[in-house]
Amino acid sequence: MVLSDTYSDARRTLVERPAVVLLGLVIGYLLVDLAAKLAGTTVDVAGVQLLGGSTAVSQVARYVLDGLIVGLVIGLAGVGLSMTYSILSFANFAHGDYITTGAFSGWFAAYLVAFVTLNVDAPFGNVFLVNAPSLVSVVNAPLAVLIGLVASGVLTVAVVLFLDRIVYKPMRDKGGIPLLIASIGVALALRYAIVFVFGTGTRGVTETGSIPSVDIPVVDGYVPLNAHEVTLIVAAVSLMFGVHFLLQRTKLGKAMRAMADNKDLAQVTGIPTERVVRTTWIIGGGLAGIAGFLIVLERGTLNYNIGWRLLLLIFSGVILGGIGSVYGAIGGGIVIGIASRLSLVWIPSDFARVVAFAVMILVLLYRPSGLFGGVKTA
Amino acid sequence: MSSDDEGAVVDGSEQDTPEAATVSGQQAATDTGNPFTTATDSLLQVSGLDAGYGDLQILEGVDLNVEAGEYVTVVGPNGAGKSTVMKSIFGLTTLMGGRVEFGGADITGEKPEDVIHLGLGYVPQSDNIFPSLSVLENLEMGAYILDEVPQEQLEAVFDRFPILEERKGQTAGNLSGGQQQMLAMGRALMLDPDLLLLDEPSAGLAPDLVDDMFDRIDRINDGGTAILMVEQNAKEALRRCDRGYVLVQGENRFMDRGTALLNDEQVRREFLGG
Repeated sequence: MVLSDTYSDARRTLVERPAVVLLGLVIGYLLVDLAAKLAGTTVDVAGVQLLGGSTAVSQVARYVLDGLIVGLVIGLAGVGLSMTYSILSFANFAHGDYITTGAFSGWFAAYLVAFVTLNVDAPFGNVFLVNAPSLVSVVNAPLAVLIGLVASGVLTVAVVLFLDRIVYKPMRDKGGIPLLIASIGVALALRYAIVFVFGTGTRGVTETGSIPSVDIPVVDGYVPLNAHEVTLIVAAVSLMFGVHFLLQRTKLGKAMRAMADNKDLAQVTGIPTERVVRTTWIIGGGLAGIAGFLIVLERGTLNYNIGWRLLLLIFSGVILGGIGSVYGAIGGGIVIGIASRLSLVWIPSDFARVVAFAVMILVLLYRPSGLFGGVKTA
Repeated sequence: MSSDDEGAVVDGSEQDTPEAATVSGQQAATDTGNPFTTATDSLLQVSGLDAGYGDLQILEGVDLNVEAGEYVTVVGPNGAGKSTVMKSIFGLTTLMGGRVEFGGADITGEKPEDVIHLGLGYVPQSDNIFPSLSVLENLEMGAYILDEVPQEQLEAVFDRFPILEERKGQTAGNLSGGQQQMLAMGRALMLDPDLLLLDEPSAGLAPDLVDDMFDRIDRINDGGTAILMVEQNAKEALRRCDRGYVLVQGENRFMDRGTALLNDEQVRREFLGG
């Protein structure tokens, strides 16, 4: 009985969803291949190498750690994108440039603090425009990093609220598509306003020489983890717990979840919807800004495109997790981060982003409610 | 129901033109100068209401009142504008004319968040719970405008709907249809309103649950809360209410005691299926 059910289920899947079966086979092949690579064996058939090879376990561990770090940033920024999607009902394409705003405003503040606290011999104008190379690290200027972190959140919130007031609020009832198109305009305007002030050049901002780093022993080698990466992980995870606490335990957080569920009912229940919208922007914008500051802290370089390039990965993560769900955005972001880095086992890094989008398209095709679908909102 | 026949005053059959307002019964004897209003200082007083959505006008000069503690239903064919009456009272439509007063205050066109603290509760027809919130959180949202969740009122809601207390930690979206309807009412009762607006509370319920739902509404009304209810299930609604309105094409057509409307020849023939 049970066996025949299983058999007919499997048969139905095979016939009705060949692409799912194919996908399963590909994933299965990759897993076997990875296992073979880690074991250092190859399987040859008629002189053609079918699978296997040689990849160090520590190398794979490094990919996973890198992916986790990127994934935390994607997840952190994705929280805001997902919240604005569910509460304001539109996909905000300007969200990536909120990240850029946070990166520039945070590092601007960090540089100003560093100029005061460190003995900087660069001209003030260069410091002011974040052009003096590689000044700050958590070791030589922890205060600058801390203030930069706070400033990235606060200044981004200010910009985000201003943009809401002049662009989105007057359009609140116009529907998702006009808002989406407006957000693309906002994205470009914001990006080139940043370019106007800071220019298009990529600059190194972190002082990398003195950052302490630990080597975590793994089977056949070491995975290095430096202080900036630890800072990023601690800050991102703390903020995620903060969001969780806010949504589950506070009255305003519950009202946000309620409004994400059902705007009309929230209104007739007496929930002050505009206040909830403002809070959504504050949290979403603040997290995006801080994510921008943190990713620059980890990568060490800053340019005007950083948020826009992340945005597409963030969309992948949010869609993967089920758009509208905050926990889905975090989980989806981490999966996308790890998948795109782990793919380096098989493909060159130039193609790593392709993996993220392939995952996104597959999810859209076969599981549009997201991997964690059904567990809606917050 | 035959026992009601004698008590009812039936004069609708003498009216030939359905356009003419047919008013009968004791209520009509109150001299308010308006055939659709029993008193001029009621809890809820709707006069000459023109309303709709955008440019589309649905309601044309609707007069309606609910006195304190009264149980009033609005019945009528599909598309008559029954739900629009409810939404207009709550400021959710485009108002084109007329006046809505509640507890003596003019609330015409006021936003829900400005009306709710006056003692007006509203249970929409569908999508009337927050599905991803827990049962308890849904009830807490009902009291959002208060600084603290009123524990006494929460207990009162749990006494009224014990199943909600049993399931208070569950995700509301996992409740059955009947339980969701109870939760929606419980949410609206969290502020202990003087008037509860119910939009088709029996919609989507299994037939054996409909009676139970109406019984619960009776008990809410027995507790002193006035009810204004829109119902598709016209016969049952009229049988239970104090007073009923028949709304047709956005206009009042009949107003009388519920049992009187039930026995009105013309109302029965045209709107209750014989």
